[in-house]
Amino acid sequence: MILDLHTHSIKSDDGRAKVENYCKWIRKKEIPLDGFVLTEHRQYDSESDYRALEDEYNLLILKASEVETDYGHVLVFGVNEDLLHSFDFANIRLPIQTVLNAAKENGAFAAPCHPGRKRVGLFSHYELSGPISDVHTVEVFNGGSIPGEDELSVKQAAIHGYKGFGGSDSHVVSRIGYCATTFESDSITTVEGLVGELQSGSFGPISLRPEPKNTTTEP
Amino acid sequence: MKVLSYDDVELGDDLPGEIPDVSMLKVTAFCTAAKHVFERFVDHEAARKEGFPAAIVPGIMSQSLLLAMIHRWAPGCTVRKIDTVFRGTLLVDSKVTMSGAVTDTDDSARTVEVDLVITAEDGRTGVIGTAVIEFQA
Repeated sequence: MILDLHTHSIKSDDGRAKVENYCKWIRKKEIPLDGFVLTEHRQYDSESDYRALEDEYNLLILKASEVETDYGHVLVFGVNEDLLHSFDFANIRLPIQTVLNAAKENGAFAAPCHPGRKRVGLFSHYELSGPISDVHTVEVFNGGSIPGEDELSVKQAAIHGYKGFGGSDSHVVSRIGYCATTFESDSITTVEGLVGELQSGSFGPISLRPEPKNTTTEP
Repeated sequence: MKVLSYDDVELGDDLPGEIPDVSMLKVTAFCTAAKHVFERFVDHEAARKEGFPAAIVPGIMSQSLLLAMIHRWAPGCTVRKIDTVFRGTLLVDSKVTMSGAVTDTDDSARTVEVDLVITAEDGRTGVIGTAVIEFQA
């Protein structure tokens, strides 16, 4: 199955996408996603319940977080009560080791996103401060990357022996599914199931970016 | 010329993309008209001294360019809401690209919601946003 593991909704301060509009867009555009994960910035959205939308659109909608560390941004899948009490999700300078350790101890899965990006990406910090031994998986395809960033992520992930996944990092509706992750499993139905599949390593990144249209004009 | 009506619009439609003129001449003219003249917008060297790679396009101009794109697409419509997020700088005298897409429709209100994006020359997303557009009955 194919999941977009990195999306933002209006719950994120810079997100402008309504979750139902994501669903409508996926179906209208026939994007081959089986679901998506909402990774809101610096928080875990414990309130929203998307089960009705899941049923109406036959999509899996899971919730996770994107936190900010001294080694760049990190996605955390499988957030639970214990993990929420392990560190301050709103802190924009979390030590990455704290996040990685807390995720591991509480049954979650943490992985740096857009690692090839300057300043907010893992590998730019590796150049300055050296590698982190507990990183095992990174987002190698990111829908917001500029040319060269994903290529750097793929190259560096191979050098360090990291597994790679993909996510659109969409903040508006029409960007969902630009990048995603394909799983060998067809039976992910919960975030616990997602964490299990991520831990198994049976997945890979895919790009679903639409072909650029040559219709841009100068008014 | 046929004017676009609500019935012509579908979820998933793209707005015609545009490459707006963000030359120093045009940006300076905008800033002067808007009484929004700051060195970082109208002087490359001064902007570099502030830490920018070059002069930057002001946010209110980016939003205005997006509004102009909407009205070229749907003349006569009313923009009920526009909400933009400035995620990165757009440089004066660079080539930036605007795009939009219809992401929701409301038959009873005859409104559509659109995504709006301005992409910088290097591919970075400079501005994102949404707008709600009402069509005449």
